[in-house]
Amino acid sequence: MDLDVLLPKLLCIAWLLPLASFTLIVFFGPRMGKKGILASYVAAGAIVTSFILSLIAFVSWIGANGVAAPGGHHGDEHAAVSPLPVDASNSPSPMRLASLADTHAADSHGHDEHAVHEVHKPVAYTGTWYTLGQFGDLKITISYYIDALTVCMFTMVTLIASCIHFYAIGYMHDELHDITDTQVLVTKGYRGHGHGHAGHGHGAHDAHAHAHDDAEHDDHGHGHSDLPPPPAGYDYLHRPGRFHRFFQYLSLFCFSMLGLVIAGNIAMVFVFWELVGVCSYFLIGFYIERKSASNAANKAFIVNRVGDFGMIIGLMALWGSLGTFAFGDVDGQQGLFSQVRNSAHNYELRTPDGMVLQAASDEIARGVEPTAKQIETWRSEKLGYWLLVIAGLGIFCGCVGKSAQFPLHVWLPDAMEGPTPVSALVHSATMVAAGVYLVGRFYPMFTPEVLLVIAYIGLITLFIAATIAITASDIKRVLAYSTVSQLGYMMLALGIGGWSAGLFHLITHAFFKSLLFMCSGSVIHACHTNDMFRMGGLRKKMPWTAYTMLAGCLAIIGTPLFSGFYSKDAIVAQAVMFTKQNPAHGILLYGFAGGAAMTAFYMFRLWYMTFSGKPRDHHVYDHAHESPKVMYVPLVILSVFAVSVGWTMPFFGLSLTNLLEQARPAGEIGTGVLLPALSYPAEYLSHAPSVHLIATLIASATAAGGFLLATLFYGVHKLDAADVKRQFNPIYYFLVHKWYFDELYNFIFIKPLFFVSSIISKIDKNLIDVFIDKLAVGVKALSRVDDAIDRYVVDGFVNVIGNWTYSAGRSLKAVQTGKLRQYVMFIVVGTVALTVIMQWALAAE
Amino acid sequence: MNLLTEPVGVAHFMVVGAIMFACGVVCMAVKRNALGVLMGIELVLNGANINFVALGSKFLQKDGAFSLGLDGQFIALFVIVLAAAEAAVALAITLNFYNNHSTVDVDRANELKG
Amino acid sequence: MDSINWHSFFFLLFGLLASAFAVGVVVASSVVRMALYLIVALAATAGLFFLAGADFVGAMQIMIYVGGTLVLLVFGVMLTAQGPFVSMKTGGGDWLLASLVAGALLALLIPVAFSVPDWRGGEPAPAVMEPTATPIGVGLLGVRVDKLDADRPESLKPGMSSYLLPFEIVSMHLLVVLVGAAYLARTKRRRSPSQIES
Repeated sequence: MDLDVLLPKLLCIAWLLPLASFTLIVFFGPRMGKKGILASYVAAGAIVTSFILSLIAFVSWIGANGVAAPGGHHGDEHAAVSPLPVDASNSPSPMRLASLADTHAADSHGHDEHAVHEVHKPVAYTGTWYTLGQFGDLKITISYYIDALTVCMFTMVTLIASCIHFYAIGYMHDELHDITDTQVLVTKGYRGHGHGHAGHGHGAHDAHAHAHDDAEHDDHGHGHSDLPPPPAGYDYLHRPGRFHRFFQYLSLFCFSMLGLVIAGNIAMVFVFWELVGVCSYFLIGFYIERKSASNAANKAFIVNRVGDFGMIIGLMALWGSLGTFAFGDVDGQQGLFSQVRNSAHNYELRTPDGMVLQAASDEIARGVEPTAKQIETWRSEKLGYWLLVIAGLGIFCGCVGKSAQFPLHVWLPDAMEGPTPVSALVHSATMVAAGVYLVGRFYPMFTPEVLLVIAYIGLITLFIAATIAITASDIKRVLAYSTVSQLGYMMLALGIGGWSAGLFHLITHAFFKSLLFMCSGSVIHACHTNDMFRMGGLRKKMPWTAYTMLAGCLAIIGTPLFSGFYSKDAIVAQAVMFTKQNPAHGILLYGFAGGAAMTAFYMFRLWYMTFSGKPRDHHVYDHAHESPKVMYVPLVILSVFAVSVGWTMPFFGLSLTNLLEQARPAGEIGTGVLLPALSYPAEYLSHAPSVHLIATLIASATAAGGFLLATLFYGVHKLDAADVKRQFNPIYYFLVHKWYFDELYNFIFIKPLFFVSSIISKIDKNLIDVFIDKLAVGVKALSRVDDAIDRYVVDGFVNVIGNWTYSAGRSLKAVQTGKLRQYVMFIVVGTVALTVIMQWALAAE
Repeated sequence: MNLLTEPVGVAHFMVVGAIMFACGVVCMAVKRNALGVLMGIELVLNGANINFVALGSKFLQKDGAFSLGLDGQFIALFVIVLAAAEAAVALAITLNFYNNHSTVDVDRANELKG
Repeated sequence: MDSINWHSFFFLLFGLLASAFAVGVVVASSVVRMALYLIVALAATAGLFFLAGADFVGAMQIMIYVGGTLVLLVFGVMLTAQGPFVSMKTGGGDWLLASLVAGALLALLIPVAFSVPDWRGGEPAPAVMEPTATPIGVGLLGVRVDKLDADRPESLKPGMSSYLLPFEIVSMHLLVVLVGAAYLARTKRRRSPSQIES
C-alpha cells in the first residue's frame, strides 16, 4: 500500500483507539472486573496497540523515505543512504507535497562555505478525513498533516504513554478499595460518600483550614495502621476508590494528545489543545476533595485560558486574512504554509497576498486597483507584515500557556497535585511539550521578530525556573521546575533558529523527564512523602529506582553518550552560531550556559538528597521498600530510551535528528523586516566541526561544574548548604518564594479583581437589586388589580352566561318525558302543524 | 263519481296510503307493547310505499302527466329492504330490552327522561 | 249503467281490505291478533301494487314483508308473549289524543291527494301491461332500459342512471344491520332470574 494511504489509516486507528477505550470506561468502568480493575487493562491495551500501529507507521516511513536527512549538507552525519525518498518521484498521489524537483539555489546569505544550498520542501501527506461543515469560505475539517515529525511524535507519545499506563496500574492500586485520605479532614460524623461530592460538603470545606503542611504531599491517602490520629473533632475523609476514573481520563488524554499531533489544520489543533487542557484539569483535580488539588486544577485551567485568548486572536488574524486553517495544501487549495512560503519564491518568507490586501483595504476602498503589481508594491512597503507578526505572536501566546513559559509558568508546579503518573505523562513528557510542538509545526509562519520573542521568553523561563528549582524541597516540584526550565530550552532553541535541535530536545526530554517523574513517583510511593529533607540513603532500599533515576539525571544534564548530551549540544551549537551572527543577543548563549550549570546542580542535589548519605527520617526510611515489578520494569524500559534515543543507530544510520530533518520546513528564516539587524543562520551551519567543538566544550563544562558543586554540597558534604543559605538569606527566600510570582500575580491581578468585584457587587446589591425589588413590588400591585378584574369582570360575565344556560336547560328538561308514545305524538303534531303553517304562508303570498 | 265504473286515479291510492299511515301513527301512539309500536312503523312505511308506487304507475294517469316511472318502484323496493333491516334491529333491541327489564312495555323504557 | 270497471273493482276490494285490517291492527288488543291483521293488510297492499302495474314490487312485498319481516315479528311476539304482555291496555285519554291527531293528519292528507287534477282518475287506463322485473333488475346494476330515449344530462351515458351505488350501499347497510342485530339479540343474561323477579 502506498504510504499516503497507509499512514493516515494506521495513525487514525492509533489515534481513535484511546477514544474507544475512554468511551468504554465511561460507560462500563465501575462494572469492569473487581472495582474496575479491568479498566486499566482496557486502557493499557488500547495504548499499547496504538504504540504498535505507530511503530509500524514509523518503520514504513523509514522504509519509504530513508533514514537520512534530505539535502545532504550534513557532512558529519551518517548520510550514507540516498536522501531521496524511494518512491517519491513516481508517486501518483496529488497529495504528496514532496516536490523534489524544487531544488533551487536558494542561499540568499552567501556568507559561508556552502555557496549552493538546496531547498527541500519536506515530505508530508495531507488530506481530510471528514468535513464537519462549511460556512462560506470557512471549512471546518478533521484533517491530517503527516510528516516525519508527526510520526516521531506519535511513536514517542504512545511509547511513553504505554509505559506510564503499566506503571499506573501499580501506582494507583490503592484506588481499588476504599480510601482514607489523611490530607482531608472532615468534621466528625460527616459522611461524604458520594463520588466527588465530599469536597463540596461544608464539613470538608472548613476542614481545609486544617490541612497538613504543604510539603507533605503524598499521592495516596493511605490506610496505614500507624496513621497519626486526626485532630480532635475531626475525621479523615473516607471515600470510595476511583481506579477506573483515572484510566478513563488517561485514555481521553492520549486521544487528545494524538489528535493534537496529527491535526492537519490549526482549528483542529485548537480543539485538541483545549481537550488536552481539560484532561489536564481533570487529572490535576483527581484528588478533588483536597483544597490544594482543586485550586491547582482551577489555576492550570484559568492560566491556560489566558494563553488561549492570545491563540484565538492569532487564529482570527490567520483566517480573517488568509481564509484557511489548513497547514498544507489540500485538494488544490493553498494551505497556510504555502501561502507564506511558496516554491515560486524559493520558500522565502513573504507576506501573503491575503494579509497585504487586508492591510491595504483602506487604499482599495479609495479606489486603488489591487493588481499583482500593486500588491508587490504594497508588500515592499511592509503592508500586512504586522498581521503576520500578530498571527505568530498569538499562536505563540497559546504555546506560552500550554508549555508554561515565563509569564504563565505558575500553573505547572502546582499541577504536581495530580497523581505522579499524570505528572510524568501530561505535565512533563507530552502535553506541556505540545506548545513546543506547535511552535515547531507552525515554524514556517513565524517571522524573525516573533522568533526572537520566543527565544527571549524561553531564556527568561529557563533561568527563572532553574533558580527556583535549586531551593525547592518537594521532590516533584524540583522536577516540575526542571520541566519548565527544559521547556524554556526548547523554546530558546526554536527561537534562535534551531528547529531540529529544539524538537530533538523535546523528544529526548520527554523520555528522561517521564523517567525522572516515574522514579520520583516510585520514591513517593515508598516513603509516603514528597519532602526531600525527610529522605536519604534510599539507594540501598530501592536500587532499581535509584539507578534508573541516576540514568535520567545523567541524561538531563547532558553527560556525553546520554541522549540529553546530543540534544543540548545541538542547541548550544545553534546558540553559538546565532550569537556569532548577532553579537547583540549574546546573552542568549550565556543565559543558556548558566541554565545548564544550574540544571546539573539541582538534579544532583535531588539525587544525592534522596538516595545517598544517611537517612534523615528513620520513620520514613524504615517503611521504604522497592516498588513492585509492574512499576520498575517501565522505569528500566524508559531509562534504556532515555540513554539511547539520541544515538545514531550503527549499521542503519538511523538517527532521530536525521528523521526530524526530513520534516524541516522549507526555506530560510532570513533577516528581520522590522529589525533589519536580526539575521538567522541556517541550522546546518552549526554542524560545522569548529562550532561543534565550542558547543561541546561549553555544554560539558557547565554540566560538569554544576555536577561538581552539587557533589561538594550534598555528595561529600565538603560545603555546608545551610551555611550558604545563611549567607545569602534574602536571595534564598526570594527563590523559595518562587520569585514571588504568585504574590505578584495576586497583587496585580487578583487583588484588583477582588476590589473591582466588591465594588460591582455593592452596585449590584444596592442599586440593581433594589431597583429590581421595587419593580417586583410594582408588578405585584399591578397583578393584584389584574386579579380583581379577572375575578369579578371576566369570570362574572362567564358565570352569568353559564347560569343562564343552566337554568334554561333545567326548565327544558321536563319536555324529555322518556315516553316513546308521547314522542310519536310530538312528531305527528309537529308535521301537521308545519304543513298547516306552510300552507298558510303560501296562501298569504 | 262511481268508483265501480270509473277508472281510479293516483288520488285513490293515496287515500288508502293515508289511511294506512294514520293507522300506523295511532298504532305507535297507543300501543304499549314494543312489538305493537313496531307494527305501527310497518304500517307507516307501507302507506308511504303505496304513494310511491302509485306515482310511478302508468295505469293511473293519462300519458304525459308527471310520473316517477320506474324510479318509484326502485324507491319502494329500497323501502321494503330497509324496513326489513329495521325490523331486525328493532326486534333485536326489543329482545335485549326484554332480557334486561323482563318487559316489553315501552312506558317502562324511560331511563333517558330529563 | 256502465259496465263494471274491473280494475276499479279490484282496487276497491284491496283498498278496503288494506284499510280495514290496518284499522284492525290499531284496535286489536292482543298482540297476536295484531300480527295476524298486519299480515292481511300488507298482503292487500301487495294487491294494490299489482293493480298499479308494479308486479315485481308486489311480489317482493309478499316475499320480503309478509314472508320475512312479519315472520320475524311473529317470532318476536312468540318470544315475548308472556301473560301480562299479550294485551296491555291503554288509557282512554291516549286513545282520544291519538285519534284526534290521526284525524288531523287524514284531514290534511286526503285534500292534498285530491288537490292535483291529474291524480283524480277518470281517464281510461292506457297502455299494456309490461313485466317490470327485468328493467328493475338491470336498473339495479346501473342500466336503465326504460329511459333509453329520455332526456338526460350530458354526463350520463345512454341508459345509465346509477342505481348501482345505492344498491351497493343498501347491501352494505343490510349486512351491517344484520350483524348488529345478531350481536344485540344474542343471549346474555347479566342478572340471575331471581334478581329479575325482584
